[in-house]
Amino acid sequence: MKDDQPSAGAAAVVLTGGKSSRMGRPKALLPFDGEPLIVHAVRRLEPLFSEIIVVAAAEQELPPLRRGSGQALPVTLVRDQVAYQGPVAGIYYGLQEARGAIGFVTSCDVPFLSLGLISHLLSQITNYDVVVPYWEERLQPLFAVYRREVAPLLKDQLESGELRPISLYKKVRTREVGPEEIRRFDPEGLSFLNMNTPEDYQAALKRWREQRGPAEPAKESASVPCTVELLGVARLRAKTREVSLALPQGATVAHVFSALAEKLPTLVGPVIAPGGNSLASGHACNINGRDFVRDLTVEVRPGDRIFIISADAGG
Amino acid sequence: MYGFHGRLLQIDLTSRSHRWVALEETRLRAFLGGIGLGTSLLYDLAPGGVEPFSPANPLIFTTAPLVGTGLTTTSKFAVVTKSPLTGFIADSLSSSFFALELKRAGLDAIAITGRAEPPVYLMIGGKESGELPVVEFREARHLWGRSPGETEALIRSELNHGGVRVAAIGQAGENLVRFATISNEGRHAGRGGVGAVMGSKNLKAIALSGNSEVEVADPKGVDAIAEMMRERSLGTVTAKYREIGTVANLAVFNRLGTLPTRNFQQSTFDHAEALSGESLTENSFSRRYGCASCTIRCERLFKSLTGAEQRLEYETLFALGPLCGIEDPEAVLQAARLCDQYGLDTISAGGTLAWAMECAEKGLLPEAQRLGLRFGKAEPFLEALSAIARRSGLGSLLAEGSRRAATKLGGESAYWAMHVKGMELPGYEPRSLKTMALGFAVSPRGACHNRSGAYEADFSGEVDRLSGDARRGGLVAASEDFASVLDSLIVCKFLRKCFTDFYAESAELLSKVTGWSCSDAELRRVGERINTLKKLFNVREGWQPEDDWLPPRLLGEALPTGVAQGVGLTVSELREMIGGYYQARGWDKNGFIPEKKLRELGLG
Ligand code: SF4
Repeated sequence: MKDDQPSAGAAAVVLTGGKSSRMGRPKALLPFDGEPLIVHAVRRLEPLFSEIIVVAAAEQELPPLRRGSGQALPVTLVRDQVAYQGPVAGIYYGLQEARGAIGFVTSCDVPFLSLGLISHLLSQITNYDVVVPYWEERLQPLFAVYRREVAPLLKDQLESGELRPISLYKKVRTREVGPEEIRRFDPEGLSFLNMNTPEDYQAALKRWREQRGPAEPAKESASVPCTVELLGVARLRAKTREVSLALPQGATVAHVFSALAEKLPTLVGPVIAPGGNSLASGHACNINGRDFVRDLTVEVRPGDRIFIISADAGG
Repeated sequence: MYGFHGRLLQIDLTSRSHRWVALEETRLRAFLGGIGLGTSLLYDLAPGGVEPFSPANPLIFTTAPLVGTGLTTTSKFAVVTKSPLTGFIADSLSSSFFALELKRAGLDAIAITGRAEPPVYLMIGGKESGELPVVEFREARHLWGRSPGETEALIRSELNHGGVRVAAIGQAGENLVRFATISNEGRHAGRGGVGAVMGSKNLKAIALSGNSEVEVADPKGVDAIAEMMRERSLGTVTAKYREIGTVANLAVFNRLGTLPTRNFQQSTFDHAEALSGESLTENSFSRRYGCASCTIRCERLFKSLTGAEQRLEYETLFALGPLCGIEDPEAVLQAARLCDQYGLDTISAGGTLAWAMECAEKGLLPEAQRLGLRFGKAEPFLEALSAIARRSGLGSLLAEGSRRAATKLGGESAYWAMHVKGMELPGYEPRSLKTMALGFAVSPRGACHNRSGAYEADFSGEVDRLSGDARRGGLVAASEDFASVLDSLIVCKFLRKCFTDFYAESAELLSKVTGWSCSDAELRRVGERINTLKKLFNVREGWQPEDDWLPPRLLGEALPTGVAQGVGLTVSELREMIGGYYQARGWDKNGFIPEKKLRELGLG
C-alpha cells in the first residue's frame, strides 16, 4: 500500500548548515521540545518519507541523531564540501544523495511544518520539476519539492556563482503554489515560520507550548505515525487525498479525528462532528481497509492507514 | 379510502379492451403499494408456469400510498412481472414525474396482458377530475426503433400535450433483450428484463396525464412529517448523495477490496482512481439532478469529451468500467449513453459482456475473439453493446444474458457466468462482503443489491465481513423486509438513514396518510409477508434449492489482490449462511415455506 502514498519513494532533505549568525549559536543544536531542533525536524518528517537526508556543513557540530529511547533515526548524513555556499549547495548535495526521483527540501528550523501541506506539494510534482510555495510575497525555496534531475543545473549554478535558488526556476518546469492553495493545508502558513533570532526562538517555544496545552507532559520521542485517507465527501471538501499524522503513543481513533480537525478545519461540521473527536453522521472510519471502527477508543498502531469514508454504501 | 384510489386498471392489448377492478382495502393494507402490491397482483393474475414472453404474463405498474404526498424522495413506481431473465419474479422501481402522474391518473395499479398487433402505445388520462380516465390504444409503428427519449418527445408533440408523462422501451425491449429496461425521463425500471416483457406485448410506451388528486387522512400531520424529513434529508447523513452521488462508492470499494473487476477475477482495479467519483466530479461534473420532489438529488450528469451530458451512477460505472476492465471514463460515459438509448440494464449488459470477454480470452467464443472483445478494449465493447440491443451477430447470443448464453455455448463457459438465478451480479464483491454474498444467493429476483441491503451489515463493523456464519441469515432477512417496506411505501433508499426509528416513524406517517392505525409491528409483518409471497411465487414457478446459490467462481477462487487478498468463500460457509437464513425466515431446511408460516402471514 505504500505505493499509493504520493510521498512514497520521495526523500526529505533537511538543511542544517546555515550560518546561524543572528541566532548566536548553531540552530540545529537548539533544544526544542526536549530534543535538539534537528532531531525534532527529522522526527516530524519521518511519517511522510521513506528516506531522510540531513545536509550539514563540513565541520559542523551535530547532536547524535537518535530518538529519546536511544534508537538511531533512519537518516543519511551528507556534508557540504565547501563551507557557506548557501542553499543552492545544500539542495544540490541533498538531491545528489537521494535514492528516489524526488526530494522535499526544508531547513531544520521550521518546527511548525504542516505534513498536509508537504503532501500536497509532493502530489503536485507529476508534471513539473519544481513545486515551490509562494508565501508572504516571496518564493520559499527551502520548503519546496525538487526532482533529482535538476541537480546538474544546480551544480552549474554553483560553478557560475548563481547562488540564488530561484534562478533555477526559470530554467525548469516550475509550479508555484500560491497563498490560497497553501491556506487550505496550513491556514496560518506556520510551515514558513523559521527562527533567525533568539526572539524568534523564544516565540516558537512559547507557541509550541501553547499548542500542546499545559496539561500534557512533554513526551519523549513517542510518536505513532499514521496516514488518514480521505474518500468521498471528505476528499472533496479537504481537496486532498491523504494526510500524515504523528500522534502521541497510545493515541486512539478519537485522537486521529482531533488531529485531522486541527489540520483540516474545513472538515469540521460536514465530516468531523463539531466536538472534533468523532465523525459526523453519514461517515465511517475503517482501519487498513479491514475493520470498520465502532469504538473510538481503539488504539492506533504505527503505520496504520485510516480511511474516512462516506458511510452509506447504497446505490 | 385515503392514500389510495382503490382501483386497478386491467388492459388487454390483444382485444384492445380495458376494465376497472376495485382493489380491496385488505389487500392494500397487507401489501401497501409499489413492490408489495405488484407482487400480490402478480401472484393472483399470472397463470402458474406462464412463459415470460407469453401474452398472458401480466406486466404490472403500481403506485404507492406515499406517492404524491410531498414527502421527499417518494416519486416512485414499481413494475412487476415474471422475468424473462430469471423465470422468477421481476420487480423493478423507477422514479420521477411518471410516478406522480400514475397516481394522478386515478389508479393504484395497471396490469397489462395480451399482445398488440401492430404495436401500440397507451394513452391514459384526459378526463375531468373525479372521472375515470380514458384509455386509448394508439398506433406506434412510427415509434418503433426509437430511443425512449425520442419516443417521449414524439408522443408529447403528437398529443400536443407538454404535461403528458411517458414511460417507453427502446430497441432492446423491442428486440426482447432479456435485460431490457423501461425508461422514463432518463430513469429506468432496470433489472430483470421488464422492458423485454413490454416489447413482447408490442407495447412501445405508456403515456399518462392525470388530474385525480388523492386525499390523505390528516393533511396537516402529513405536511409536518414531510417538513421534518425534508430538513433531515439535508443533513450530513445524505451528504454523499448530495455532494458526489453514488459514484462515490467506486474508490471506497476499491480500497476495501470489494470492487468487482474483470468479471470478478479481482476485487480491486488498478485504474480506479481515474474512474472514481471524486475524479469524475473534479474533471467532468456537469450538473446535479434529482427525481421529482426530491431534496437529496443524488443524480449526477457528467460531461463527456464530445460535450454531451450523461447520467452516471455507481452500478453503471462499475459494470461498464472495472467489471469489463474499461479504464477510460470517456468510454464508460459512451457505454452508459448507449445503454440509455437502447434501454439496456447496465449491470446485466456489463456482466454479460464481461462473461463474453473472459470466454474470448480463454478461446471459447471465436466470434467474440474475431470482434476483438477483450477486457479493457473499449471499441469492440461499445460495438457489442449496440449489437446486443439490435440482436445482431454475437449480440443475439449475448441478448439472452450470461446464464442462457453460457448454456448455449456450453463447455466450461458456465464457470464464468456471474449470475444468481440468471441475473448478473451488481458491484459488490461477495467474497469480501459475506453478508451480501448470502443476500445475493437467496434474493427472490436474483443477485440484487436493492431488494437486499445486506452489505450494510458488512460495512458496519457489526460482523466480520470476510467470514460468514449462520447469524447472517437473520441480518439478511431483516434487510430484505426493510427494503420491501421502503419499496412498497415507497420511500427512496437514500432517505433511509434519515429516520431515527424507521418502522415506528413510517407507521405513523402511513397512519396519517391512510387513516389506518398502523403499528411498527404491523409494518414489519408487511415486509415479511411481501418477501414470503415473492418466494411463494418463485416456488410456484419452479424454484428449487439449488437456485439459492452463487456462481462457482466465487466458491473456487480466492481474491488475488487488495486488502482482502487470499479471502475466498467456501461451500460450507455458504451452506451455513443459507441454513441460517431459512431458519430466520421460519422456512424448512430446504427453503420451502411451511403451511403454518403461510397461514401466519395470511397467505395460506
Ligand atoms: S435520492 Fe436520488 S434516487 Fe432517491 S429520489 Fe432523490 S434523486 Fe431519486
